[in-house]
Amino acid sequence: MESIEQIMRHDHERLDVLLEAGAKAVHEGLWHEAADLLQRFRHGIVDAHMVVEETLLFPAFETQQGHAGLALTAILRKGHQDLRVFFLEMAEAIAARDDEEFAALLRTVRALLKQHDSKEESELYPQVAAAMPEQGRAAGKLLLSLQRATADPGVR
Amino acid sequence: MNEFHGCEIPADLFYDLDYVWVRPEQDGTLTIGVTDPAQAIAGRLQYARIKKLDVHVDAGRHVATLESSKWVGGVPSPCAGVIVARNEALLAKPHLINVDPYGDAWIARIKPDDAQHALDHVTTGAEAVVALEAWIQRYDVQCMRCSD
Repeated sequence: MESIEQIMRHDHERLDVLLEAGAKAVHEGLWHEAADLLQRFRHGIVDAHMVVEETLLFPAFETQQGHAGLALTAILRKGHQDLRVFFLEMAEAIAARDDEEFAALLRTVRALLKQHDSKEESELYPQVAAAMPEQGRAAGKLLLSLQRATADPGVR
Repeated sequence: MNEFHGCEIPADLFYDLDYVWVRPEQDGTLTIGVTDPAQAIAGRLQYARIKKLDVHVDAGRHVATLESSKWVGGVPSPCAGVIVARNEALLAKPHLINVDPYGDAWIARIKPDDAQHALDHVTTGAEAVVALEAWIQRYDVQCMRCSD
């Protein structure tokens, strides 16, 4: 069975693939396909991945690390807050068929996700996996159930 | 000027109690920028994108996006309104925010849709200072300013 560290890292990779597929569709002018791919990406990251982190992993990390953990989770929560707004703006850019605006937003989202995912993969997940395996297992189960609930055909 | 962990917190500004300060202007517009502790977290800023003039933004939507080598984030609007001015100097020199976040490095000015309720979701005075000191502790920030 995969650890929570592996599960969340694989989910980052899966979501990156969806985002890049959406970006490719925009580049090719396939606006309906782009809207569908970005919607699947948004569901996967906002309605599943972030929910698991905000309801289970961040609180577990804060409990384990105490005050020292709050600085990291505060930055990660701000990242989630910003990403939610950027995803709305990307969807609006696609609806308006504004590839220039979409490209600017994509640049920002890629940069934000790179920094954000790196912090989670190097600091958050390993700590939770090592020190709080039960919370990690619960998070893994929740992620799977939320992915199924979003009916993402990309989820096995 | 209030100072905490080296971070300046002018008590006469309004704050979203996160990254943003707001200054009401005589003409009813609001000037928006990012706080001293926020620029400290971001580090030397390398890229700034500010929404175009005459664009309407809803409350919470970004008027600008800022990037450094270690931080990327949006600058949310405190209320719905139209962007009536933007600081063009930041587009070429985003790190001005690291030098003078409350002065020359203002980001944008918006005309609120509803002037009476434009400041409903921001805080000022002693209450804001106390909340931002807690914010600085939570993020474990020590402010430093760039000189150029």
